[in-house]
Amino acid sequence: MNQDQYRILSKRFGRRDGHRLAAYEADGGYRALKRAVGQLGAAAVREEVKASGLRGRGGAGFPAGVKWGFVPQGAETVYFMVNADESEPGTFKDRYLLDYDPHAVIEGSAISSFAVGAKLCVIYIRGEFGWLVDRVQKAVDEAYAAGYLGPGALGGAYELEMIVHKGAGAYICGEETGLINSVTGLKGQPSIKPPFPAVSGFLGQPTIVNNVETVAAVPWILENGAAAYRAFGTEKSPGTKLFSVSGPVRRPGVHEIPLGLPFREFFTDWLGGMADGEELKAVIMGGSSVPVLTAAEAMETALDYESLAAAGTMLGSGGMIIIPQRCDMVELIQVLMHFYWDESCGQCTPCREGTGWLHRIVKRLRGGEGAPEDLALLEKVCDGMAGLTICPLADAAVMPMRSFLERFRPEFEALAAGRRETEPDSRWAREIRS
Amino acid sequence: MVKLTIDGRELEFAAGTSLFEACRVARGEALPHFCYHPDLSVAGVCRLCQVEVEGMPKLTIACNTSVREGMVVHTRSERVRRAAQQILEMHLINHPVDCPICDQAGECGLQDQYMNYGLYESEVSISDKVNKAKVQVIGPRVVLDKERCVLCSRCVRFCDEVTRTGELGIFNRGDRAEIGVAPGRQLDNAYSLNTVDICPVGALTSLDFRFKKRVWLLRSTPSICHGCATGCNVRVDHEAGTVYRLKPRRNPAVNGSWMCDEGRDTYRELHAASRLSEPLLRRDGELRAATWPEAWAALAGAAGRELPPGAAVVSPRQSLEEIALFAHLAAALGVPAAAIGGGPREADRGEGDDLLRSADLAPNRAALGWLGLQEPAGADLAARVRAAKGAVLVYGADPAADAPGWREAVAGRTVIHLGTHRNATAEAADIVIPLSAWAERDGLFVNRQGRVQASRRAIARPGLAQEDWRFLADWLAAAGAAEVPASLPELRRWVAGRVTALAGVDLAVLPPEGLVPDAVAAGSGGES
Repeated sequence: MNQDQYRILSKRFGRRDGHRLAAYEADGGYRALKRAVGQLGAAAVREEVKASGLRGRGGAGFPAGVKWGFVPQGAETVYFMVNADESEPGTFKDRYLLDYDPHAVIEGSAISSFAVGAKLCVIYIRGEFGWLVDRVQKAVDEAYAAGYLGPGALGGAYELEMIVHKGAGAYICGEETGLINSVTGLKGQPSIKPPFPAVSGFLGQPTIVNNVETVAAVPWILENGAAAYRAFGTEKSPGTKLFSVSGPVRRPGVHEIPLGLPFREFFTDWLGGMADGEELKAVIMGGSSVPVLTAAEAMETALDYESLAAAGTMLGSGGMIIIPQRCDMVELIQVLMHFYWDESCGQCTPCREGTGWLHRIVKRLRGGEGAPEDLALLEKVCDGMAGLTICPLADAAVMPMRSFLERFRPEFEALAAGRRETEPDSRWAREIRS
Repeated sequence: MVKLTIDGRELEFAAGTSLFEACRVARGEALPHFCYHPDLSVAGVCRLCQVEVEGMPKLTIACNTSVREGMVVHTRSERVRRAAQQILEMHLINHPVDCPICDQAGECGLQDQYMNYGLYESEVSISDKVNKAKVQVIGPRVVLDKERCVLCSRCVRFCDEVTRTGELGIFNRGDRAEIGVAPGRQLDNAYSLNTVDICPVGALTSLDFRFKKRVWLLRSTPSICHGCATGCNVRVDHEAGTVYRLKPRRNPAVNGSWMCDEGRDTYRELHAASRLSEPLLRRDGELRAATWPEAWAALAGAAGRELPPGAAVVSPRQSLEEIALFAHLAAALGVPAAAIGGGPREADRGEGDDLLRSADLAPNRAALGWLGLQEPAGADLAARVRAAKGAVLVYGADPAADAPGWREAVAGRTVIHLGTHRNATAEAADIVIPLSAWAERDGLFVNRQGRVQASRRAIARPGLAQEDWRFLADWLAAAGAAEVPASLPELRRWVAGRVTALAGVDLAVLPPEGLVPDAVAAGSGGES
């Protein structure tokens, strides 16, 4: 089977020159932008993207065309922002796009900005991706020099300023209002909604924030049409999706698949199954925030928004973590709870206090100081956090916590009953234990 | 208008009303909350005011929701109660629970909410709590305890939105987040103590008040601030005749929820060492304590010897009734109408700002105008007094300090000082009558908007000091006047009858926000 037929976003992955303008143009790059501006016009672009059914690839899966439609009619100043604050543990697909194919991101951003009427586009890259900031900035400079961006772009047919903005290292700035606050120069923390950013965002103006992978799909959709895009995937989950796979499989890394692909097929054909001597225990399908599935559950599901929801989890960002049998699930959840405790912005009480509480309880369990009541306490703390905050970070901590407890309870019970922890075998676990 | 149902009651509100305020009306009490404040932006972070709105899958915070037609809201359901309990528990897990040594105890949001939503069985061990800095003096008037803070952000929003000085911020994130001042700065704006008022817990406390008095021992009297012409509505907190602090009382038409730091200091003058508590008479060149019969004899003697008195000066710090009655008394004693007035004009002037502080530091200057009394400048006042003959009556004012040439003008004449403190005029006077300070008697004041507001008696007068209107009425009677009010309500009716602006106004029943007479609101003057 030819997996390359699904390469919409990953065509240039691994190519040494893929990030250069010349290579991108040779592949037909920036044709879609010219067509969008020169022939289609903004309304037709919006219609085409809406018709394609493209859904936001940052995690929530909200239809991109619908989101664009939330910008109030006749808004004079609109801003467009590209969310490249990819920080979810297990997720590293946007990083590939920025690294191997920055011009696809730039062209997609330019078309999207044009479609919503924005004259300023900000690409917000997480601070830890320092080398990618340089990489994308160079590509933006190339695009300016070639006349694709700037005040008189494409011979004066439209105008767009594009700014590459480097974050300061906070997971929460990947939440769109947190991102907008960070760009504004405020503390990187989510704003209360309503108002939604599409109505009042950056500097109080309508602002659309889309994920890197979402905008990168836009040029292809315009070049090939919504119908061609819908030829991939399922009816409700059209198109292709990048999965970044980590864990002891034969072929980890970023894979592009048509949505709806059975996990079993992805696991055996794309990933090549488990590495020698490893056995599959569990799978986190869409990044560390989604509920974990047991191996058996995973094998019965398919990789699209609806199938994964039916299986009790989420497609999320596509950050797939393959967990082998030898892995201690309590150790793993300790790493995750440390992460959410560290990254909570601290404004909403349930999240600020709850993430720290969860982390302390899990740490106590791992340290052999737990008690059987701690399991019920973990569940109680989760109940006091879920759905009660401004942004979904509290839910993002609760979903893995609850699912780990539910599906791998014996491991927690053993610790609570006084079993000493196994020696931590990950660097992270060693660090957070000290 | 929008119709909605809250806890089974159908109610109507103006479109755009906050659901939080609608619930306050429906319930008769506010929803549990820390971060919401009617005079600040919505932060939505404490998460305590969650209510159930039918048709919405999740609970929603009332503070960031507007009323909608047909909305069905539950604020007392088990689900809502459970959420409040859980969130309150979260608020407490890193709280030091040091109530016994906390100055906020007794007026603490955490304590109050705990009575309603507490779980009473702790599942957090004290050693697990996050430790933060305590007792940080962050400005000339405010102390910060970071452990007690629930990060409601009210103080930060106050400094950002009201004073626009931005001294405070929330630093760090997660459960390490803490309130702090920006590097190199202090919380030293002119309104800094409002942060203490709106702090729902003991994180921000007042350097002046802390550890002076347990708050449950205090009694509160609604009044107005006498620090300037704004007339901020205040609460006078006192116990056993001692005032411990002033707190702003919300009045959207005057001061919102705020008052300035200087205004809060005005309670100190009530208990100053220079406070007059007995009549003083000059004997052998020195002021010596006297009894009331001796004082009355001296007043009769002085007025008789130098009849009629030549001049009468009243301060715009006295109440409307007092000024009116004093002017009436002076006239009855024979002081020429032109020689009765306020002054000097330049007294009680300050800087002011565009928020609450008025450059006019007198709380009742507008009343002088309403009563048709002139207010000459200092030198002019001295010249007028010099030109007159006879004794000089000074009420509340301190022309010896404020009017150049005053001492020369009154040399060799009997000066009668009616007042509360041993100021420069009292020190140079021959007869000193101790009256009531502002928190010791009832009175009406007209602020810079032309708004009549009531100041109320909170504490007793010290020693032999008299209630002003009663003393003035007694003197009137002694002088043989026909019209002598027998009570304060009668005096108010009499005053209302003498001021055009107050025609037809019943001063006995002022609305809570004070009263701007129609004539004043319409822009015409109030002189009789």
